[in-house]
Order: sequence, then C-alpha cells, then structure tokens
Amino acid sequence: MQLIIEAIGFGIATGAVIALGAVGFSVQFGISNILNITYGSLMTLAAYVGLLLINHGVNAWLALVLGAVVVGVVSVVYHRALLAPLVRRGTRAIAMVIVTVSAGIILQYVIVSIAGPESHSYGEQSGSTLHLIGFTLSAGQVAIIVLTASLMLGLHLLLTRTTLGKAMRATSSNRTLARSCGISTDRVSDIAWLISGSLCGAAGVALAITTVSFDFSLGSLFLIPMIAAAVLGGIGQPYGAMLGGLIVGVSSEVAAAVSNPNYKDVVAFMILIIMLLVRPRGLFGAAWSTRRLMEG
Amino acid sequence: MAWEYYLVVMLVYLGTDLLAVWGLNLEFGVSGVANLAYIVVVAAGAYTFAICTLGPSSGNGGFQTYIGGFTLPFPLALLAGALAGAVVGTLIGVTGLKRLRQDYQAVAMLVVSLMVATVVSADTGFLNGSAGLALIPNPFADLDPEVARWAYVAVVAFCCLIGFLVLRRFTTGPIGRTLRAMRDDDTAASAAGKNVIGLRLVVQAVGGAFGGLSGALLAGFIGGWSPSAWVYIETLAFLSCVIVGGMGSDRGVSLGTLIIAVLLLQGVQFLPQISSSPGLSEDFGWIILGASTIIFIWFRPQGVLPERRPRYLGKSSSHSPG
Amino acid sequence: MSGDAGTVILDVDRLEKHYGGVHAVDGVSFTVERGSITGLIGPNGAGKSTALAVIGGYVSPTAGRIHFDGADITGYPMHARARVGLVRTFQMARVFGNLTTIENLLVAVPRQRGESAAGILAGKWFWRGEERQLVERARALLDTFGMSTKADDPARTLSGGQKRAVEIMRALMMKPKLLLLDEPMAGLSPSLSRQLEDMLIRLAGDGLSLLLVEHELDTVDRLCGKVVVMAQGRVLSEGRMAELRLSREVQDAYVIG
Ligand SMILES: Nc1ncnc2c1ncn2[C@@H]1O[C@H](COP(=O)(O)OP(=O)(O)OP(=O)(O)O)[C@@H](O)[C@H]1O
Ligand SMILES: [Mg+2]
Repeated sequence: MQLIIEAIGFGIATGAVIALGAVGFSVQFGISNILNITYGSLMTLAAYVGLLLINHGVNAWLALVLGAVVVGVVSVVYHRALLAPLVRRGTRAIAMVIVTVSAGIILQYVIVSIAGPESHSYGEQSGSTLHLIGFTLSAGQVAIIVLTASLMLGLHLLLTRTTLGKAMRATSSNRTLARSCGISTDRVSDIAWLISGSLCGAAGVALAITTVSFDFSLGSLFLIPMIAAAVLGGIGQPYGAMLGGLIVGVSSEVAAAVSNPNYKDVVAFMILIIMLLVRPRGLFGAAWSTRRLMEG
Repeated sequence: MAWEYYLVVMLVYLGTDLLAVWGLNLEFGVSGVANLAYIVVVAAGAYTFAICTLGPSSGNGGFQTYIGGFTLPFPLALLAGALAGAVVGTLIGVTGLKRLRQDYQAVAMLVVSLMVATVVSADTGFLNGSAGLALIPNPFADLDPEVARWAYVAVVAFCCLIGFLVLRRFTTGPIGRTLRAMRDDDTAASAAGKNVIGLRLVVQAVGGAFGGLSGALLAGFIGGWSPSAWVYIETLAFLSCVIVGGMGSDRGVSLGTLIIAVLLLQGVQFLPQISSSPGLSEDFGWIILGASTIIFIWFRPQGVLPERRPRYLGKSSSHSPG
Repeated sequence: MSGDAGTVILDVDRLEKHYGGVHAVDGVSFTVERGSITGLIGPNGAGKSTALAVIGGYVSPTAGRIHFDGADITGYPMHARARVGLVRTFQMARVFGNLTTIENLLVAVPRQRGESAAGILAGKWFWRGEERQLVERARALLDTFGMSTKADDPARTLSGGQKRAVEIMRALMMKPKLLLLDEPMAGLSPSLSRQLEDMLIRLAGDGLSLLLVEHELDTVDRLCGKVVVMAQGRVLSEGRMAELRLSREVQDAYVIG
C-alpha cells in the first residue's frame, strides 16, 4: 500500500511535467490547427540550454526560466518563418505534420552535432526529501508541482480574465469569425506561440531536472505521454490537457510500481490507443473539437 | 576487392530501399495514409526473418534470447517476413478505424513507432532487447564469398522485379484510381460508394508486406538486426524519397530513392571525417534529409517526377449517341 | 420505374441529431415519393444540411430511423448507402483534385471489376471491357454538360461551377435511385442553373427521385412538387410552394431565421 501511495506522489510530480508539456501542445493546436511534433525537439533544446547555463554556474530554476524564454522566442520565429507561410500556401494538414517531424529531426541532429550523442546530467538538483501527507517527494519535485500549478492558474486567469485570453479563445474556436470581429489574429497567434513555446521550454528543463540523465532523445520519447495526455483531455483544450497530464502521470507511475518500470510508457500508450478508438474527442470533448478532429 | 564489395552493398541497399519506398508510396503517395510507423513493418519483417532462420534461442551458447528459432529455409523465411509486415501493417492501420483527421492519425502512428521501439528494446526475452539479434544465417554461406554476394544481389533483384509487378497492379487501373480518389478526398470517396476504411486496411497490409520483405532481405544481408536500425526517424528517410521523387508516381519515388537513400545518405559518408566526432557525417545526413523534405514541400510538393494521369481524349467524343 | 410511381422511396422518421446542446435536427419526419423532386427549405441554420448529412450517412443520428427503398438503412455507413442507390452531393462541391475530370466520373461507379480482388489478381484483360463501357458513358455525360474539352484536365483546375457539374455527373455515373442535392445551384451562373434545372426535371421524368435543399424559392417553385419547410431543427410545414408562400408561419420563420 505504501508503495502505491508513494507511486501516486511520484505520479503527481511526473504528471505535472506532462501537463506542462501537454497544455502547451494543446494551446498550439487550438490556436493554429497544427499538430506540432517539433515540440519534442524544442523540449530537448530547452534541456540543453539549461545544461549550458547550469554548467556556467546558473541556478537550476533560473535556467528553467531562461530556457522557457529562449524556446518561447524560438517557437514564435519557427511558426512565423516556416509554419504560417506553409499554411498560407495551402499545404495540407498531413504535409504539415511531416514538416514538423522533419524540423524536429533537423533540430535534434543540430543539437547532437553540437553537444554530442552522450548522456548528460544536471547533477544533484532534487534537494532534500520531504514527507507530505504520506508522499515522499524531493524538494525539486515539490517545486515543479508548485510551479506547474501556478503556471496553470496563471494561464487560466489569462484565458478567462483578460481581453487577450478571450481573443485567444475566440481565435481558437473560429479564426475567420474572430478576424471579422476585429481581432488581430496574427498578433494573438504570436502571443499564443510565445506562451505555449515557453511552456514547452519550461517542461523541457523541468523534465531534465527530474530525470537522472538525458540525451538528445529526451523530447521525442516524451511525445508518448504528452500526446496521450493531450488526447485524453481533448486535444486543443488546455484544461483537458492539465487533467490528462495528471491522469497519465499517476497511472503510469502506479503501473510502474506494481509491475515492470520499463513499461511505464505502455500505460500512456494504451490510454492513447483506447481514446483514439473509443472517444477521440477526449474525455470532456466539446462538439467543436469533434468537428475539427473528424475529417471533412 | 573493396569497390566490388561496396557496389554489392549499394545494390542491396538500393533494392531493399526501393521495396520499402514502393510500399510506403502505395500507402502515402497513392492512398493518403501517412504511415509514420512504417519502419515498424520493416522491423517486423527483419525480426521475423531472423527468428525463422536462426536456430533455437539456446544455440550459440545462448548469448541471445528470442522467441521462435525455427531454422526455416531462406525462401520461406522471406515469405514469413513479408507476411509479418502485412499483419503488423494492418494492426497499425487499426489506429485509423475511427474517421479521424489524417494528421491526427499520422501522429498516432508516430507514437506507435516510438512505443514499439521502447517495448522491444526493454524486453530482453522477446527479441533480445536493445542488443538485437546477431548471427542471422546467410543463405549462401556455403558458396564462395564473392559468388555469395552476387547471388544475394540476384535474390534482391528478383524480389524487386516481382514487387514491382505486384505494385503496378495496385497503383494503376481502376483500383489505382480509386485509391487516389480516396487520397484526394476520403469523404467524397465514401459518398461515391468506396469503403474507405476497408481499402485503407488492405493498403496497409499490402504496403506492410513490401516493408516486411524489405526488412527480411536487409536482415539476411547484414546478418544482424537491432532497435538502432529502426528508430522512428528512419520512416522519414523513406517518406523523403516519396516526397522528393514525386508522391503517387512509381517512377518518381524510384528516382527519389536513388537520390535520397543512395546518393545522399551514402554520399555523406564521403564527407571529410572529423576525427573528434565520428558520427558527425551521419548527423549531417539527417539534417540534409529533413531539410530537403521541407524544401520540397515548400517549393515543389509534386516532386521531381510528378504523378501523371492517363488520357482518355480521342475518337468517339464527337459522335456519342443521343 | 414508372410502375412504382407514387410509392415512397425515402421515409425519415423522427430524426434527431444533437451536437452537444445544439439540436441541429430535432425530430424531423417526412417522406420522398419515387420519381418526385422534393424540396427542403428553411432559413440559415435550420438544420437542412445536417438532415441531409444524416440521411446520406455522413453523420449518425442521435435518434430516429431512416427507411430507403423498403429497407432500414439507419445503421448503414455512407458508402453502403451509396451502393444501394442513395447518393448525395455536398454543399461545397468536392472533387478529386489530382484526378482528371473524366477520371472523377469513372471512379464513382461502385463495384467495378477492376477494383475487386479478382480484378487486381487477374489484371487488365479482366476489366478492360467494362472500363471501355464506362468511358463511353462518361464521355456522353461530359458532352451533355458541355465539358468534353475539360475531360483530361486535372479537376483541381476547374472553376467552381464546373466542379459542381463534375459532382453531379459523378453522382449520375452511380445510377442512383435517390439523389440528395445540397444547394446545387449555388455559385452557378443564371444560365447554367437554368440548364441544371432542366436537367433535373428530365432526370425526374426518367424515374430518378430527388431531395433538394435550395434557398432560391422561385427555383423550388419551378422544380418541386412537395416542399418541406424546416426551422430550428423541426419541420414547420409541408406542401406545395404556392400554398406555403401564403402561410403566416413560414413567412415568420424566414423573417426571424
Ligand atoms: N458539426 C457540428 N457541430 C456543432 N454544431 C453544428 C455542426 N453542424 C451543424 N451545426 C449546427 O447545427 C445547426 C444547423 O446547421 P445546418 O448546417 O444543418 O443548417 P442549414 O439549414 O444547412 O443552414 P444553411 O442554409 O446556412 O446551409 C446550426 O446551428 C449549426 O451551427
Ligand atoms: Mg446548409
């Protein structure tokens, strides 16, 4: 029993990182209708930017912030320079996925050719061990849970309380309508890519902090739980992705604790496949997301 | 002689790459299913070939563990490889059973590819985990090595010939037309009475058989097969051949294979080696590959040799009855 | 065909389609007589396209049953409905862009020999004969629509009106029993839509049944015997256009809708 409770605690920490990534991924899909697979490699980029900073004596949490900023800016430029023009040229969605996979591979191998193929580590970042309501967590994990919770709260307030957030939601649900209502959709999508890109960067550094060591495949392997979480929550829906991340995180850690830790991702994968076959619009899918996911 | 050995290697790679690219072109270029897990069917063929030709797992001092070990003759093992590709291809096709957006389905397949690789690497009892399988018997081991190599080239060439004839049965004529219609607009295709889901599964099975055969031939030639040989990005190499050569065009993608798989990916080996980082030329290969894919999608999405459609103009259009 | 005239070919019974809280179709019942042109009209957002999509099998109904030609087809997928002779066109014309115009027609014929497993195994000699006949039929259709010169052009290069014509020809290649048309005149020039009107009247004369969604009430008046009026997902009224024009209820619906 103790094993399971501890696994749940771990799962919340893992789930926090997954949620961070999945929310960013969902926001990008919501705003531009592109499934951006480069996201994985951008997380890897953030992890290596963090590594560079930490190796130069920067504090891990400052590195996280800087990594988030760098990847946020890179994401905006990437969308502006490559993805948006391609969409404007009428490139089909399926070709867009191939473009983002290709760009992800380019980025991944640029990183490899600079930083080398070997594993790296941030060193000991987890801090002292804390015992909270039966959970045993490192200070680092607790910090990441708190960070994720506050970022999610911030995003929630942004989406619901500000004009910008309303413009973002309007653009997400119907771009042409939003534009005809006088919303500057290009500016809104820039900001959305900045925010989602920063979440991607934060998730990348957070992932590197919580893993023992990582290499250039960090981000691409993370695509499994992240996409599972996004689909579970109804892809394109930030709130769904938050809960999706938590569910995927907890269930895979619990499964890993009671069976083979190698199969951690299998749970995420099973969730993804079952959702795709049974309820592709996600657990709480609204009608508009169904319309967007089904062809035609 | 070194150059002769190199020529043999190139020919075998060209042949196996052609089979895989043809299969993927049937799925993606002709039918519109962007199977980002295509390398998994290649792997299924290679592993199946390996466990069919190898003896029981306890052999060779038991240094590798795997299921099967049937010691089948070479042609049967090749067939088994193709069959395994077809089965796995159909299973991957299950991700498309719901009428989902095509890009969504492609991403699901990408995740399948990542997942299968993770599981096979982690489970050492299944297919010897990340170390992979070695000592896969060469069918011509008893012959003089020189003759054996060319005999293998002949087998690959024969498979390509048969493969091409089979391929044309699917890419030309009424069925080729139907598959292309499904690619262009699958909703309109079902409104025209086409069973889109059924057709996609058939295509995934046939395309899977091509990939499986390709993997089997490759494993038999190399003598080994491991997860590092079928990382998900390998699918992109085949996709790149399709996109650069000309989606949907059998001639086009064959040319694309020559350009990408042979000239480019093998060509980077001739870049000056930097002794401090030996993997660098391979990294460049992937970067160039990704870049050429994007450049073609941007500037020339129809590829070098675009798909051509048959013409029906002529004789009787002026004196149709009524 | 004319022997069956007067009997019902399509029977829609208490059809409902909900999108979350939106009741796009909310308990719609009506019938289409064999060989007739039935109109389906109503203000924007009335649920006409949704009703057509449910009947055509593109979306599945939340509740209700659909009988076609004596069989309950409620559970049939779209392609199976097309094969029993229930064929639809789309509000936005959809063509197979990379196929040529004539290929767009040829591909539409269901159960071709060349598509079957036997055809793939046996090869060209097995399907050549049938293919030749199909090409003849397609050529004749292209002639009547005045599009012979476009036969070998890729369909993506056609104009909007031409794409719509291709869609209708494609439907006719399937030899349907009932054709569902969603605003077929939209985007056609006045002369072209008059031509299409004549064509539809001729087809109905040959025994084809038509269910037609149309905004232009004069067109509906000229073409349709019976007209079904929808508003807010429900059937408001049913009858001949001339009578409906006088109905207070229908006028209100158009003004409010
Ligand atoms: N996929 C969908 N998801 C959610 N709501 C939908 C969907 N399709 C249609 N609706 C809603 O159902 C209602 C009916 O739409 P429908 O397109 O059937 O109307 P219509 O009568 O064809 O209108 P028009 O004359 O403009 O073509 C509308 O309120 C529309 O917003
Ligand atoms: Mg409509």
